[in-house]
Amino acid sequence: MTASSSIPAIRVLLVDDEPAIRRALRTPLNEMGFQTTEAVRGEDALHLVQTQTFDVVLLDVNMPGIGGMKTLVRLRALAPRLPILMLTVVDGEEEKVEALENGADDYITKPFSIRECVARLRSAVRRAQTPERNEDAPIAIGEIQVLPTRRAVSKAGQSIHLTRKQYDILYYLMTHAGRAVTYGKLLTAVWGPDYRQEVDYLRTFVRQLRKKIEDDPSDPKYLLTDAYVGYRFAEQLVENDVPDAPAS
Amino acid sequence: MMNFRRVLPAGRRRETLAQGGASAPTAPPAPAVAQSQLDAERLCRLIHETTKLDPHRKPGHQLAFLVRSIFQVESVAIFDADLHEVYQSGEWFDDPQNMLQNISTFETVSDDPETGLSRRVLHMGLLSIGALVIRGETRGQIATAIASVVAITFDRYHSFANESRTEIARQTEQLRTTVLDSLAHAYKTPLTVIRAASEGLSARGSLSLEQAELVAQIEEQTALLNRLTTSLLRTARLQASEMIPHAEKVEVASLVEDVVASLRDQLAKVSVRVEIARDDLSLRCDRGLLVALLTQYVDNAAKYGAPGTAATIHAEDGDSEVIFSVHSKGPVIPPADFERIFDRYYRSSASSNKAPGTGIGLSIAKRAAQAQGGHVWVTSDLQKGTTFYASLPITPQGGIRT
Repeated sequence: MTASSSIPAIRVLLVDDEPAIRRALRTPLNEMGFQTTEAVRGEDALHLVQTQTFDVVLLDVNMPGIGGMKTLVRLRALAPRLPILMLTVVDGEEEKVEALENGADDYITKPFSIRECVARLRSAVRRAQTPERNEDAPIAIGEIQVLPTRRAVSKAGQSIHLTRKQYDILYYLMTHAGRAVTYGKLLTAVWGPDYRQEVDYLRTFVRQLRKKIEDDPSDPKYLLTDAYVGYRFAEQLVENDVPDAPAS
Repeated sequence: MMNFRRVLPAGRRRETLAQGGASAPTAPPAPAVAQSQLDAERLCRLIHETTKLDPHRKPGHQLAFLVRSIFQVESVAIFDADLHEVYQSGEWFDDPQNMLQNISTFETVSDDPETGLSRRVLHMGLLSIGALVIRGETRGQIATAIASVVAITFDRYHSFANESRTEIARQTEQLRTTVLDSLAHAYKTPLTVIRAASEGLSARGSLSLEQAELVAQIEEQTALLNRLTTSLLRTARLQASEMIPHAEKVEVASLVEDVVASLRDQLAKVSVRVEIARDDLSLRCDRGLLVALLTQYVDNAAKYGAPGTAATIHAEDGDSEVIFSVHSKGPVIPPADFERIFDRYYRSSASSNKAPGTGIGLSIAKRAAQAQGGHVWVTSDLQKGTTFYASLPITPQGGIRT
């Protein structure tokens, strides 16, 4: 193990019934300074979180026994603030939505890149360890700034006029920056539970909002679309998000 | 047995209720008249709103919300005995589930002026199908009428949901989906492991040039295998769902947005332009099939488009159809291939050396369009580049289920 800094290792609970997946994750995660504990089934994971401390859980959806989704719900009940990331397979949009609405912090699609997995783990842990923010504290991401006490929004110092609902959407997404927010969650937060199905309605508002806050509304940098799931506000602005190419 | 009056069939409801509220010829004290009038208007509104509810969706939540907001009461709770579900609107300090179940089981109907609670059984014929509790000022008669509206709405939902043919088809589809999901899982596991392992190797940074080259090949081919698997599973899923395309309202702008977002990685080397004739352009079609079609077109444009060029996604409505097109600048497809390129396993000589593929992608697009009465075609020349088109009827054609 080559943890080169003095930062304490992030303790990951890895829950997957496939030994090959656990093995493939164990080595690189350990090398990058994570301390991993493994569980083969959801039941074991539930037992482990009651007896040990973890910073984050990586949980497979598809497992025998009680399965990933039930494990998620029960873990959430046991540890309301513990970040939980779900491992899903592609084409499982409904699964992703279900996981997020049951309290998962994020999802990773197999086959994922280790780099992406590590980045997601770190950011989930960072968010969980950030002290609870004061509701009225100003929020700034990139050039966008929000002053909740005055419901005022500005971009690069220029004030932007938003309608009430546009502001509510922006505020909710920015206070959940970096996280995938499902349509249902956002609709419930802004309009109430009776509107949780009105996705087309929400899309219209988001389209208007993008026209006001994005440089190019058709290529958003802040208010991102999480395909078939919902929206995700950028945690910080990355100008050139080019994935590292393999050595050529 | 409670006093239960069935609400009349749709066409006559409004009229009857309006009369019931305001027809008394010898005038009782004015405020009571005003109240009756108001109650009747509210009932009409409730009935009107419930007829607009989607009959395929559980109506409970919306009903609770409608009753509370229209009648301006403090809180409403409804129990569906069939589904064993409770729907609430407004604040309930104690969970109303037990109370509701008791009302439904023992048919205890009451109006309690002290607590402001009106308890009603939801009846369909003689059968109790649930319960309703309203807290706040309501007249007993009105609470009974509300209970009838709720009962009828529930009944309508259940008869839609129980329609046996739909149910069987749905179960078959679900079975296929389950099989495909486990198949997906079986393929993705080894792919995940290979990718993680080869990335782990290259991250070490201590590889010789030759070793790095070998690892790069593993990574490239893993990515290719992953795409092939995804596309094979997509075809299988498409075949499974082909029998029953489900038409729903699809907003073009949002669908295109999802497709582009899901292909973000593939679209790294070309830029994307989206041109949609108007913000509210929409059609009725099978969402999944249209997603499969456009995903294929956009993925193709990303794969064959020359680096640095733009892929343009365009949509506009014609007389009775919506025409989608995806334009890119890449290798030219010879006219002789314009038809065959949509056939399964056919790969144009212009493409086969340029990019990896299975030869099934465009056949998916073709089937997705044809399954809903649409069609596909392509144009390609050196000056104008390559454009793939798909035309879909604005409203479903043929045997499509709506």
